[in-house]
Amino acid sequence: MEDLKIGVYVCNCGTNIAHVIDAESVKNYAATLPGVKIARSYRYMCSNPGQEMIVEDIRSQGLNRVVVAACSPRMHERTFRNACRTAGLNPYLCEMANIREQCSWVHNDSVAATEKAMALTRAAVLRVACQEPLEGLTAEMCPTTLVLGGGIAGLTAALELADGGFPVVIVERADRLGGNLTRVDLTAPHFDSARDLVRERIAHVRGNPNVTVMLRSELRSLSGFVGNFTAEIATNGGKPTKVRVGNVVVATGYKEFDASRVTHFGYGKLPNVITSFDFERMLRAGRIETKDGRLPQYAAIIHCVGSRSEEFHAYCSRVCCMTALKYANEIKSAIPTCYVSDLYIDMHAFGKGCEDFYKRSSEAKTLFLMYGKGDHPVIRRAASTDDCDMLIEVEEKLSGEHIEIPADLVILMVGMEARADAADVAHVVNISQDKSGWFIESHPKLDPVATTTDGVYIAGTCAAPKDIPDTVAQARAAAARILAKIAKGKIEIDGVFAEVNEEQCSGCRMCNELCPYSAIEFDADKKRSHVIPAACKACGACVAACPSAAIKGRHFTDAQIFAQIEGVLL
Amino acid sequence: MSYEPKLVGFLCNWCSYTGADLAGTSRIQYPPNIRIIRVMCSARIDPSFILQSLGKGADGVLICGCHPGDCHYSEGNYKAMRRYPLLKRLLDAYGIEHERVRLEWVSASEGQRFADVVADMTERLRALGPCRVKTALATDQIER
Repeated sequence: MEDLKIGVYVCNCGTNIAHVIDAESVKNYAATLPGVKIARSYRYMCSNPGQEMIVEDIRSQGLNRVVVAACSPRMHERTFRNACRTAGLNPYLCEMANIREQCSWVHNDSVAATEKAMALTRAAVLRVACQEPLEGLTAEMCPTTLVLGGGIAGLTAALELADGGFPVVIVERADRLGGNLTRVDLTAPHFDSARDLVRERIAHVRGNPNVTVMLRSELRSLSGFVGNFTAEIATNGGKPTKVRVGNVVVATGYKEFDASRVTHFGYGKLPNVITSFDFERMLRAGRIETKDGRLPQYAAIIHCVGSRSEEFHAYCSRVCCMTALKYANEIKSAIPTCYVSDLYIDMHAFGKGCEDFYKRSSEAKTLFLMYGKGDHPVIRRAASTDDCDMLIEVEEKLSGEHIEIPADLVILMVGMEARADAADVAHVVNISQDKSGWFIESHPKLDPVATTTDGVYIAGTCAAPKDIPDTVAQARAAAARILAKIAKGKIEIDGVFAEVNEEQCSGCRMCNELCPYSAIEFDADKKRSHVIPAACKACGACVAACPSAAIKGRHFTDAQIFAQIEGVLL
Repeated sequence: MSYEPKLVGFLCNWCSYTGADLAGTSRIQYPPNIRIIRVMCSARIDPSFILQSLGKGADGVLICGCHPGDCHYSEGNYKAMRRYPLLKRLLDAYGIEHERVRLEWVSASEGQRFADVVADMTERLRALGPCRVKTALATDQIER
């Protein structure tokens, strides 16, 4: 190995570091450390002159390692790695000592802070001596995308990708496309036909030669890594066929809450207590009627059935409030003499045009009654002397009164819940579920359609309850993410990943199960495990767990961390 | 010279190291006794790192990771959590006070909590007195 020629650069960060830490002393101390050829301090290392200083020193002094004692690596590691790359030095031969966020900004005592800065710099010098040049890898990107689910989310994502000129395979469990939306009549707040929306999507999908639709099919397994997955898809429960895909969009949707779980509403017992989906069927058939074929004189709509409750689901299902207003409007226009009451906890009208819709509905003589979140209306059969089928008792919150309202038809606004098979899907594509069963995104705000498994995206209601516009936006977002990757042609894999030393591997397979990304494969012939670099996220769980110490965590090796330990404690 | 405990912290990159950085950007003061080593995930923290730290003169070791359920790698912190009790038993078996090693969850938004944990642990190590592992190892070497 060639002699170490380390350059150490101590940043003053204006006065951010230098007002507490004696940067000159740190620099002078660094110059005495083993392998250090040059040590400098400067006002702002991250500035152009600061970076040029490093580049120039690498070139003229032949430096082969660089330490920058400055801010957090989370701030400027990339900056200094790039400076090294510019000068022709492998960027992984650069190390930072965090003497700002974790030293000068948190300690007032100059002497102690300077001493700590020296220790951190020393640790970085000892560590960088053990660092190795690393190269990233590139892999092919298969342009085919697998879309799980043929509802509005899956159809939209598939069309976006297919229109971009790339092959898509839609895998749908049911025997037809369209998903839950085919069960809905009109949409809120503009009364567009849901069926038209879906039909238009299906027609385009059917007419697009890039899309293959597999009905009555399910994904049995997914192996490989981003750009290079192999999917095993079984149709009609038969023998699975293998399809090579680069990315996956999970758009498996939701199922509606089972209203019979709420015993006090009498769903399944009282014939004229129905769910929102039962009512959609009625609307599609074109006649709103009671079980025995009469026109209801009194209709009541109850919100939050299964949603926003301690007992069932704590979350809001987001679409039911506006759907309930849609029903109130539809009942009023079909049966102008019908009295409609709407029993809600809170009216959530957050979408575009929804507040206006609420206002219009309020003016249309619907009786709005507010009930408490912990409370619930009680439905009972009316007496034969009453002119209605049922009576609903409610503690009305706004008036503070106990109110009894008549009803011939009660519509329960059932919420959304994760599908029963969501756990299986999560397991097969290796993504996570939250406590309610919804799939978890990579970042709730900044990365809402990616998951922790590279190449697997989520869209629509499988991630959480949402309305059609949000679902479509997510589907298009997932497609856009994939199109961007396909456009690049190849995938770049970071140089930091785990490696198995096959000489040392005992084939115990402990790491296989431990890896959250299924990035470690077992070669049954060789009886050895190996890491798939593109799937590895470099967490290091396998490195620490391997009983044979056969796994090396690149850039976080035992030797590098031991050097750091020695450095901070010397 | 009065005894100043030496504390080594192993912090996961995504939550705890970021939380420690936040303590900095928020200018929250804490004792300078801690020296932080960054790892990508608390699951990477090999028990040998802790033993090595104590052997090299640390008086205590702090392990910090994401709160359960918040791990960037989905469940690495659970692995750290399971190793910790075993490590404590090992320390006890060697006659090292297991209070010298502590596992804490610190999120990226808990700069104050990080500072509090460091302050508390520094005080506890001060009360415990110096860790004898390094000197014992040195004596052992001489006797051999």
